[in-house]
Amino acid sequence: MSDQEVAALQKIEPFASMTPDAFSKAIPLHGVLQNDCRLLDLKKGDIIVREGDYGSSAFLILEGEALVSLQSLPAEVLGRDTGRKKGWLAAVSQLWRNSTGVETRNYDANRSEVSKIQDVGSREDETGTHIFLHDIPAVIPVGKSVALGAGEIFGEISALTRTPRSATVVANAPTRLLEIRWQGFRELMKRHEALRTHVENLYRENSLRAHLREIPVLKGLSHDTIEKLSELTIFESFGDFQWNRKFTSTKKKDILDRILSEPTIAQQGEYVDGLILIRNGFARLSREHGDGHQTIAYLGKGETFGLRELVHNWQTGEQRPWLLSLRAVGYVDILRIPTLAFESLVLPNIPKPKLPAPLPSLDPKQRQKHQRRAERQESMDKGLLEFLVEKRFINGTQTMMIDLDRCTRCDDCVRACASTHDNNPRFKRQGDTYDHWMVTNACMHCLDPVCMIGCPTGAIARDQESGSVTINDKTCIGCATCSNSCPYNNIQMVEINDDSGLPIVDIDTGKPINKATKCDLCVDQLGGPACQRACPHDALVRIDLTAPDDITIWSKR
Amino acid sequence: MTQPNLKSKPRRFRFSKRRIRNSIITLVIIAILSVIVYAQNQSLIHSSFTTGYLLMTCIVFLAAFNLRKKITFLPAIGSAKFWMQLHIYVGLATFAIFGFHIAWHVPNGAFELLLAGLYLTVALSGVYGLYATRIFPAKLTGLNEEPIFERIPFFQQRLAVQARKLVLQTCEATDVLANFYSNRLAAFFERPRSLAYLVRPTGRVRRQLITEIEDLDRFLAEDQRQVSRELTQLVKQRDDLDYHYALQGRLKVWLFIHIGLTYSLLIVAVLHMILAHAFDGGLQ
Repeated sequence: MSDQEVAALQKIEPFASMTPDAFSKAIPLHGVLQNDCRLLDLKKGDIIVREGDYGSSAFLILEGEALVSLQSLPAEVLGRDTGRKKGWLAAVSQLWRNSTGVETRNYDANRSEVSKIQDVGSREDETGTHIFLHDIPAVIPVGKSVALGAGEIFGEISALTRTPRSATVVANAPTRLLEIRWQGFRELMKRHEALRTHVENLYRENSLRAHLREIPVLKGLSHDTIEKLSELTIFESFGDFQWNRKFTSTKKKDILDRILSEPTIAQQGEYVDGLILIRNGFARLSREHGDGHQTIAYLGKGETFGLRELVHNWQTGEQRPWLLSLRAVGYVDILRIPTLAFESLVLPNIPKPKLPAPLPSLDPKQRQKHQRRAERQESMDKGLLEFLVEKRFINGTQTMMIDLDRCTRCDDCVRACASTHDNNPRFKRQGDTYDHWMVTNACMHCLDPVCMIGCPTGAIARDQESGSVTINDKTCIGCATCSNSCPYNNIQMVEINDDSGLPIVDIDTGKPINKATKCDLCVDQLGGPACQRACPHDALVRIDLTAPDDITIWSKR
Repeated sequence: MTQPNLKSKPRRFRFSKRRIRNSIITLVIIAILSVIVYAQNQSLIHSSFTTGYLLMTCIVFLAAFNLRKKITFLPAIGSAKFWMQLHIYVGLATFAIFGFHIAWHVPNGAFELLLAGLYLTVALSGVYGLYATRIFPAKLTGLNEEPIFERIPFFQQRLAVQARKLVLQTCEATDVLANFYSNRLAAFFERPRSLAYLVRPTGRVRRQLITEIEDLDRFLAEDQRQVSRELTQLVKQRDDLDYHYALQGRLKVWLFIHIGLTYSLLIVAVLHMILAHAFDGGLQ
C-alpha cells in the first residue's frame, strides 16, 4: 500500500485510536498497515469469504456493505465438488468408459452439471479472480442474512485460529475492504487492548465454553464452573502459522537444532503453571536425553498436557516441575488454565478414581515398586514416532502408509487408483521411508489443510461429512495456489486434454489449461479408497496419524 | 475445526493369529470332506464326482481372484486382502481335494497325467508365490533405493552416464580409472545383468568390483581417489537397482506364469469334466 493510503487508514478507527508508540520499532503500526494489509475494491455480489474455507486474513469494511449469509449456500454456488457417489452401473461402466488418453476432460458431456452453476460468474482484476453472485436475493433470501457496515471486522477468528469460515460473506454494494493478514492482525491485537479484548470476548462467547466442555477431564463440571474457567483461561499461540513455507528448509537442519528451534510451550524442569489444552496444531512432547531431546509423543487438537503433575502437586503438596517439554511443531494455539484456577475449580469436582495416578516417587526404592505395579502401555516405535513428527506426517488424517516388508511392489494400488480416476492415478508409490514404513506421495487430507488457504474459487474444500479434502475440477482455475502451499508435494498440476488427446487451451491466451489434481479418497466411489481395498498383501493402509493410537495398533500387527 | 470423520479404523489383530485361525478352519474343512468322501466310498457312491466338482469350483474361484483385482470399485465383493486370504487357504485345501479326487494314486492316462501335471504346476507355483511374496519384500526393503520397476532402466542409464562423466574428469591426469572403466565397469554399467543373476541375484560382482576399485587407490592421487570412492557408490547403487530388477521382475514373471497356466488348467479341466461325464456310463 502507498504511504498516502496508510496515512488515510491511520485516520479511521480502529487505527486512529492506536498509539504508534505502543508498537515496536521493528514492526511499527505503519509497517503493519503497509506490509500486512491490502485494499480490496469489490463489486456488488462479489463473494468475500465462503463457509468452510480456510483463510489467513481478517477483513475490515472501509466503505459499503457486506452480507453474512445465515444459511449454508448450495455446494455449486460455493464452487464445491458435490461429491455424489456413483451408482452400481456407473461404477461398473468404468471398466469400459474410462478414457484411454491422459488427463482427458469432456466438459461438453457435463454441460448439464455446469449449467447448475449459473447463479455465479467470475471476473478478474489486478487483485485476482473474483467469483460473484448474479442475483444475491435468489441465493441468499431476504431475512436470512445479516448486514455488516463500514467499520466492522469479520473473519478474524477463522484467521487467527486456522478454523473454517463459519459463514459466507458477500459484498452487497460496491465495497472497499481492508484485508489484514493474520500476522498483522496478531500484531495489532498485541498492541491494542480494545481490539484484543474484542477478539478474545468473541472467542469466549462463541467457542471457548464448547471447547472446554469437550475436554475429557472437564466433562461433568457444572455450567457455572465452566463459565468461571472460561473467564480465567489464557489464550496463547506458538510457532509460525505459515510453517509450510519454511518446511523444506527446516527439514535440512540438524535434528537437535530443529527441536531446539521449535518454540517451547513448557520446559522440562520448570514450574507447572497450569493445564495446557491444545486448541489447534501439534506439539511435540520430548525428554532430555544425553545432549539431545527424545520425542516421547505428540499431542494434537483437544489433548491436554500437565494433568499428572497438577494432580500430583495438589494431592501431595509437593512442587514437582514439568516432567517433559512441550514444543510447537509448526504452529500451536493453546489454552492455559492457570494452576490456581485448576486447583480451586476443577480438581475438587473430579471424583478421585477418575484422577490420574500420582507420579513415581523420587525415592529409588519406592520408584522400583511403582514400576512393577504400573501397567506397560503399548507405544509406538520411537524411531517411527520421531520420523512422523520430523516430517510433519502427524498432520494427516488419511495418510497412505505402506509396510514395505509386505509390499510386493505389484502396483495394484496404483492401478486401482487409476481405474477409479479415468485412468489417471492420483498418487505415486514413492515417498519418505523409515525402516520398513513408507509414507507415500498421496494427499493426507490434513487436519491443518494449508492447501485450502487462498483458493480464489473455493474449488478445494473439505467435505463436512467425510472430512476429505477434494478439488472441484470444474471450478479449479489452475492457479496452483494449493499445489504451491502443500508442504508434502501431494498436489499435482496437470495439463488437460480433450477426447482426441489434444491440449485444451484458454481461448483468450492460447495457453494450455492446468488443473490441480490429488487423491480424493475415491469420494465418488461406492467402496471408499480403492488403493487400500486393492492391496492383497495387507501392506497399504489409509491411516489417521493425528493421534498415535491407530498407527501404534497397525505397526504392531 | 471440522474433525474429519474417519470411516475405518485399523483393527487390533496379529498376522500370526490370523494364520493360525485360517489354518484351523482349512484343516477342519478338509477333515469334514475326508469324512464325506469316506462315507461315499463306503456307500459305493463314486466320490470322484463330488471331489471333481468341488475341485473345479475351487479352481474357478481361485482364478476369479484375478478378475476381482480388475474390479476395484465395487464394495460388496470384498477387499483384495480378504480375497487373498481365501485364495491362499482355498488353494492349500485343493491339494487335499485333489488327493481325494485321484484317490492318492498317480493318474494312468496321458490326458489325466497332463491335467494332474498342470494342476500341480499351478498349485506349486502358488506355493512358491506365497513364499516369494512374503520373503522378497523384506529383502528389497533392506536396500537404500525404492525404485518403481518400470523406471529402473531409466535409473540404470542415468547411473551409466554419471559413471562415464566421473571417469572422464580424471582422464587428463591419469588413465588408470579410464582403463579400469573401459575394461571392467563399462560392461557393468551399460549392459543388463546376466540371466543367471536375474534367476539368482548375488552380491559377488558388486564385491569384486568394489575390491578392484579400492585396489586402484595406490595408483591414484587424492582427488582421483575421491572419484574412485564416488564410483564405488555408483557401483553399489547400480547393484541395488539390479537386485530390485531381479526380484521385482521375478515376482512379475511368477505371476504371469501362475495366471497363464491357470487358464490352461481351466481349459483342460473343463475337457476332463466333459470326458468324465461322456464315459461315466460304463463306470456305474
